[in-house]
Amino acid sequence: MAEQTQGAVPLSAVIADAATGVALALRGEGDPYALSGILRQSDALTSAAVRVLGADALAPYAVEHRAAPVGADDEAVVRQALAAYPPGADASQVSVWSYRGLIEASHAFLPAGAQPWPAPPEAEAAWVAGDPWPKLSHRVSQVAALALPGLAPGLAEQLAARTDDLARGFVRAVRRRDWLQAAGLGRWLARLPDAPSTLGLDSGLAFIRQMGGADPRVALHVVAAQRFYGRGW
Amino acid sequence: MVTDRTAPVETAALAAEVEGLLEPAEADGVFRDTRECGGALLLAALLLISPPTPRPKTDVR
Amino acid sequence: MTGGRGDPGLLDRMVQRSLGWLEEARPLFRLPSNVTTDADPNLTLKPLGELAELTQLIGVLHPREEIRTAARGLFAFAWNETRDGELFAELIRGEPFATYPVELYGVFTQAGLRHAEVDELVHTTTRLRGWRVAREDHTRTLGVLNAERRIGLRQHADFGAVLALTGLGGLPEPWALDRKSAYGVTHDVFHLTDWGRNRQRLPPELADYLRLWVPSWLENWLEEQLWDLAGELLAVTACLPAAPYDPVAWQRLADAQAADGSVPEMGAAPATGDPAEAFTACYHSTLVTAFAATLARIASDEAEAGPPAGDTASVGGRTPCESETAL
Repeated sequence: MAEQTQGAVPLSAVIADAATGVALALRGEGDPYALSGILRQSDALTSAAVRVLGADALAPYAVEHRAAPVGADDEAVVRQALAAYPPGADASQVSVWSYRGLIEASHAFLPAGAQPWPAPPEAEAAWVAGDPWPKLSHRVSQVAALALPGLAPGLAEQLAARTDDLARGFVRAVRRRDWLQAAGLGRWLARLPDAPSTLGLDSGLAFIRQMGGADPRVALHVVAAQRFYGRGW
Repeated sequence: MVTDRTAPVETAALAAEVEGLLEPAEADGVFRDTRECGGALLLAALLLISPPTPRPKTDVR
Repeated sequence: MTGGRGDPGLLDRMVQRSLGWLEEARPLFRLPSNVTTDADPNLTLKPLGELAELTQLIGVLHPREEIRTAARGLFAFAWNETRDGELFAELIRGEPFATYPVELYGVFTQAGLRHAEVDELVHTTTRLRGWRVAREDHTRTLGVLNAERRIGLRQHADFGAVLALTGLGGLPEPWALDRKSAYGVTHDVFHLTDWGRNRQRLPPELADYLRLWVPSWLENWLEEQLWDLAGELLAVTACLPAAPYDPVAWQRLADAQAADGSVPEMGAAPATGDPAEAFTACYHSTLVTAFAATLARIASDEAEAGPPAGDTASVGGRTPCESETAL
């Protein structure tokens, strides 16, 4: 991890706080969600946090029948993050997909402002078919934020062909007590149509929440699986 | 420690940190196993073709 | 799903090297004079029983003549250590209600090696109502039932009903498996399939379950370097219809095999000058490696030959009472 400027809140803590806010909103608790409410545009780490959270920064807006409309401040926060941290030429596939997810979520969940949202960048997906299942599973867990309704339909279709492999990755991750990976995979498996019944996905998500839910990002994945796909208890 | 959310940060380092957080290396596995408690150990049952009595695992990560 | 073609060269080398180490370890398999009284059965009878169980299988099923010959030599040695079965008469007279002498005796009867007095003794002891009382461990009960079948005794319980109570039969969440239950699952498969001899006994539902989840468990326990369990999981894989072959997993197990052919139970080979200690730490994993590589070799040959016709999943060396399918 890069060195922090002395005296500043670590980025990971800012992300954790924001993830807590998102999870709370997905559970329907707390005040009506506003991204700009939990990550203020003027804060130094807001853009970095939004970039890391990706589409999840806007996940509460994917919930149907939201009480409050999305404000213009949110648009500014997202645009700032997109401008500040575009994936470089040597960016990882996960980074590109995550960036793409944030743009897709902006298209889908934020109102069109004065200027259009950028087009989502092309993201390579050969790894989805080619990675051995442990590596595939690790990567897929890192793009768990894309497991939102309507996002990355092409990726979802490709991942569906590897459902069994992702389920194996879920088993491996739980047994290794890698709760973040397990939760991310469980969230994707919740979205995919044919998770193996013997996996016990619902009880698995509940188990992960009990064992690893103290990590807000773990909790966020578990809540998203429940909120959007009705899996877990 | 001051918890100032507006403190300036060094941009390049932050960009690297963002990339790192997006794709962190896989953590080492934690392998903790169920401990036996109670009578089972005292019975010392002979289990045909089962492993030898486990030795204490020293490498608990 | 088609079976995976394995690497016969690698598999056969692993069997040969394992058998080589076991051959050298013969003196450590010898039973002490106090074996029926105060010797620890886990350090005496158990190793010899495993040696007999697995070398019998390799001696019958391995496609290569020289490997079968080596395995048969070890199996004959084991029978000789029981003094042609006299040992079991002594054990049963000393502990008439114990199951282990019956389980061990069954290993030899499947090869046609019998002892008249033992036959009479078990005929009596296994007919007691007390023999039918449920045992603490359902997997172990499957082993007893398999021994009864091998000896030609009436089975004291319904195999399918007991299987349903085990860690395999209950189809538990695959992520909820701990080490002990993993050993339980592998042994459920071994007892059910008679150690891979009758693989068609594996019902499709259980085969599907294992095909899905064994790769995860294998990856976990290879990472943990628990080589005996990894070997057992590879053996289970080889029991599946059209068995898949995982070249990476096999190479990892091959890499764990030491220069002398031994496979440590866990981690790196133990640094000990005490031969008895080294034996205890290695004999089980070494036997399992030879066993798993034999089953994988057979599965690989079948994949090479293409989809077989008719009764596909059964291999040679069938045991008596074959018509009594377990499920």
